[in-house]
Order: sequence, then structure tokens, then C-alpha cells
Amino acid sequence: MVDVRNVRGGDGLVGISDEVDEILDSVVESTRQATEAFFETYDKNPDPRVLAAWLEPRAWREIDYVFLLNEQIRRYGMGFSRTHITLLAKQSFQEAEHYEAVGKAIESLGGTVPVSVPEEARPWSEFLWDCLERHPLAAIAAWNVSETSASGSFEPTFRAGERHQFDEVVRVYRQIEIDEKFHVGLGRQILSSYARTDHDREEILRAMRGMRDIAWKTFTPESVAQRRRA
Amino acid sequence: MNDITMRDSMDLMEAGAVFNVDVAAVKTEADGVVSLELKSSYGQSLPGWTPGAHIDVILPNALVRQYSLCGDPQNPEAWRIGVLREPASRGGSSCIHEDVRVGDRLQVTTPRNNFALVDAERYLFIAGGIGITPILPMIRQAADGGKPWTLLYGGRTRNSMAFLDEISTCRGGEVHVMPQDEFGLLDLPRFLGAPRTDTAVYCCGPGPLIDAVEENCRAWRAGALHRERFAPSVKPRLETGAFEVELARSGQRLTVPPHTSLLSVLENAGHKITNSCRAGICGTCLVKVLAGTPQHNDDVLSDADRESGAVMLVCVSRSESELLVLDL
Repeated sequence: MVDVRNVRGGDGLVGISDEVDEILDSVVESTRQATEAFFETYDKNPDPRVLAAWLEPRAWREIDYVFLLNEQIRRYGMGFSRTHITLLAKQSFQEAEHYEAVGKAIESLGGTVPVSVPEEARPWSEFLWDCLERHPLAAIAAWNVSETSASGSFEPTFRAGERHQFDEVVRVYRQIEIDEKFHVGLGRQILSSYARTDHDREEILRAMRGMRDIAWKTFTPESVAQRRRA
Repeated sequence: MNDITMRDSMDLMEAGAVFNVDVAAVKTEADGVVSLELKSSYGQSLPGWTPGAHIDVILPNALVRQYSLCGDPQNPEAWRIGVLREPASRGGSSCIHEDVRVGDRLQVTTPRNNFALVDAERYLFIAGGIGITPILPMIRQAADGGKPWTLLYGGRTRNSMAFLDEISTCRGGEVHVMPQDEFGLLDLPRFLGAPRTDTAVYCCGPGPLIDAVEENCRAWRAGALHRERFAPSVKPRLETGAFEVELARSGQRLTVPPHTSLLSVLENAGHKITNSCRAGICGTCLVKVLAGTPQHNDDVLSDADRESGAVMLVCVSRSESELLVLDL
């Protein structure tokens, strides 16, 4: 019933909202397909360490969001309303909780929680930080796509969780699924509230298009294989 | 779902549970008094009740009023309530008299009885005005049980006194209909002056009548007098900005203070509500509204959802009516 893409805000995305929605739909589908492909592979060899390896770049995303959001507030926060500063900080806190929770799940599977950017997550991380350098709204646009991409992974993950009984992973992602609605809605509200010029909108679309082509890749079985070879 | 299951589900409802009824008939019973016949909205039998029971009615304007059931307890298909139009109505009785029509749907609670008829060898019933409503089914029960009974029934005028025809059909009793414009105040010493150990006294009416009956029963044995005041108890006035919520599945009532969110009040009362942002953005704390008018302060519900008033986000939204009934 509630669609966070319809969140109220300004009219800053008027004229590009159709493309924004196309990008979001596209990245959700790419991520869903990548996740389905991963679990098809996993079904043949349900090794918990493989699942842990699949989760490791996800854990890095969580803590990288924390770093990024805090820098976003420090660098650009005074251009936002106090409410939006508070909500960005709240998102940052929740991302830290997710890093902790996903980290525990990884350890329970015999994996190692990343404390530096995993190689397969480097394109994603570098693009995100590059966006932050370029424009006050670009990083928000990029993580809005990245956060949205995760929603394509939830249902395949929950179904696989039933097949393989990795209940703790499912429990963690059930909570992340709830929080992600907040993060996606907040990102959309900030973009529509503060985008004012065509240049703003161009930077938003550039960031979203770029992240659309990156965000789903660490969900693939090939990405996990690369990690396990490293 | 078959009829038996439906019936069972109604019988098993918790006390105070809220459900829908339809107004099957509206009848003028006296000057300023109407009765409503209520039937289940889904063709089910209604929960059972005993004489003296009352229900809460959640009115279309979200006010909640208590009314005694005055129909036949043996009839599971329909309930009846009698409603006096109060000259100083605060929106309850005037709403029923002006706005409620046959076919309307109302929300009601399952019956509660704080005025039950105890077993006695004989009964003295004293009713003032609309106070006849809980007394009427008591008279029938006493009559059906072959118990001697007496009714002392007062009112402003004969035309203002409801259910006189029905009372006249009840067997085995002695009826004294005493409108004030003909007889003055009820002659209580005549009926209560000689205490009887075999008689239970039941009184319902305005406060001064009950006060007078209590005074006249001082010499009666303890417990002989049973009374119910139909004037609403005076509730402490809510602070500006505060409102009440009723949780339909349990009947629990909670007050939401002006600067506390409904979500926090629900959580503090032990209810787990899914939520994340607590700012009206994520939509995860969506709750269905069964009655009352939400004041939407969120950023994400569609205009259609807002206008329907059927859902709200409890993290930031409040109430425009004094009461909200939530599907919790």
C-alpha cells in the first residue's frame, strides 16, 4: 500500500522522475536475477563459507554507508533542513547496526567481517565516494539506487533461507528490509527537496545510471567465486 | 465460513471486542426517545447477554456512548437500544437522533453487565425516564420466572415515557406509571418505607432519583438495592492535543498525551509495532483505523489513503477526533 517512491517533498525531480523510476526498477531486477543465480549455485554446494563470502561485500556496504553519510552531513549538511540532518544521522546509525548484525551473521557462518573494502566491492565504493566529491546530491542519488538494489535480493534470500535454514541471515535481512524503506524514502525526499537546477538533475541521473550498472554485481555467483579465489 | 462457525466466533469474542452491526430499524418510542434495532452486519448471531447489560456504541462522529440493551435476551438475531435525545447533548444522542438511519453501519462492543439481575423471591423495579431501558428486560425475566414484581416508573410526562405498551403486556406484576405532570415526584416512601428481606430493589434513572432511592433504602438490608446511573460518568478532560485510542482486538484504551507519539504510547503499553524511521517516511508502522478521524502528519501516504481515513502511520500521525479505534 505504501510506496516510498511517492514520498512527499519538493518538485526537484519533476522531468526526470520517470527515468529515475526506470533506473530503480532496472537495478532491482538485475539484483534479483543475480541473487537467484547465486542461490542456484549455492543449492548445489550449500557451504556456509560461500554464503559468508557472498555477505562480506554486503557488510562492507553497510559500514561504507556510515562513513559516507557522516561525511555527507559534515560536508553538505548545513544546506539541508535540521530534520533531514537528523534523519541522515539516524540512517547512519541504522547502517552501523546493520554492519554489526550482518557481521555477526558472517561470523556465525565461518566467514570474516571485512574491515577494509573487499576487492569486488571496490568499484561500488569508489563510485559512491566519487559522487560525493562531485555534487551535494550525487552520493545520495547513488546510494538511493544501491539501497534500492538490495530489495531485489530479499525474497530470493528468504526463500533460500527456508531451504537451507540460515535463519539468522534471514532474521537480519528482515530488519534490513524494513529499514531500507526508510532509507530509500529519505533519499528520494532529499533529492526532490533540494534539486533545483538542470545541473542538479544531470548529476543525479549520472550518479543513478552509474550505480545502476554496478550495484547488482556483488550479488552474482561470479563475484563470490572471485572473492574466494582472492 | 458456515453459520455454526460464525456463531461460535461471535460467542467467543472477548468482552469489549468491537464489531460491526447494521441498523435494522429505527422507531420512535416516546417524545424524544428512539429505539434502534441492531443486527450483525454479516448475518451472524449476536453475542449473548443478560438483563442489565450495556454495549458501547462508536458513533459515526467517533464519540463513544454506552446504552443498555432493552430487547429480548433470547433473540440472538437482534439487539435493541433506547436513546433519549438529551437537551444538552454533547454529540452522542443528537447524532443518533439526527444522523443514524436504517441501513447504517455502526461499531459496537460485546455486552458487559455491571447491573445484573440477582435471584430474589420478588423484585421492586424503579425507573426514571430512559432508565427504563435496562429495567425492561429484567421485568420480562422476572415475569417469565414467575417471580412477583412491582414497577414504579416515573417520567416528565406520559408521552415522554417509552415502552409503556410493552410493559403492559408483562405478566404477574404490579405497574405504577407515574408521570410527574400528573402525580408529582415518585412516592418513594410508599414503596420503600417498609423494608422487605425477600425483595431486590433495582433502580435506574437520573442522579436525584437514585439519591432519593438510596436515602429511602437506608433501613433495607445491605445489598438489597442495585442501581445504575445512566448519566455518563464525568471523565477528566483531555489536555489540548491529547486523544484516546481504543485497540479493537482487546478493548484496551490508551491516552496519547500532546507531545508523545501514538507509536510510543503503543510501545509503552507493550504492543510491538513494526517501524523504522519514526518520521512518517518509511510507512512500516501503518495501522488500520476502524473509527475516528486520523490527522495525517506523514510524508508518504497517498492522497486517497489519507482521504479514506482507513489507515494511518502511528509514528507521526494523531487524531482529529477525541477517539480513534485501531485494528490492533
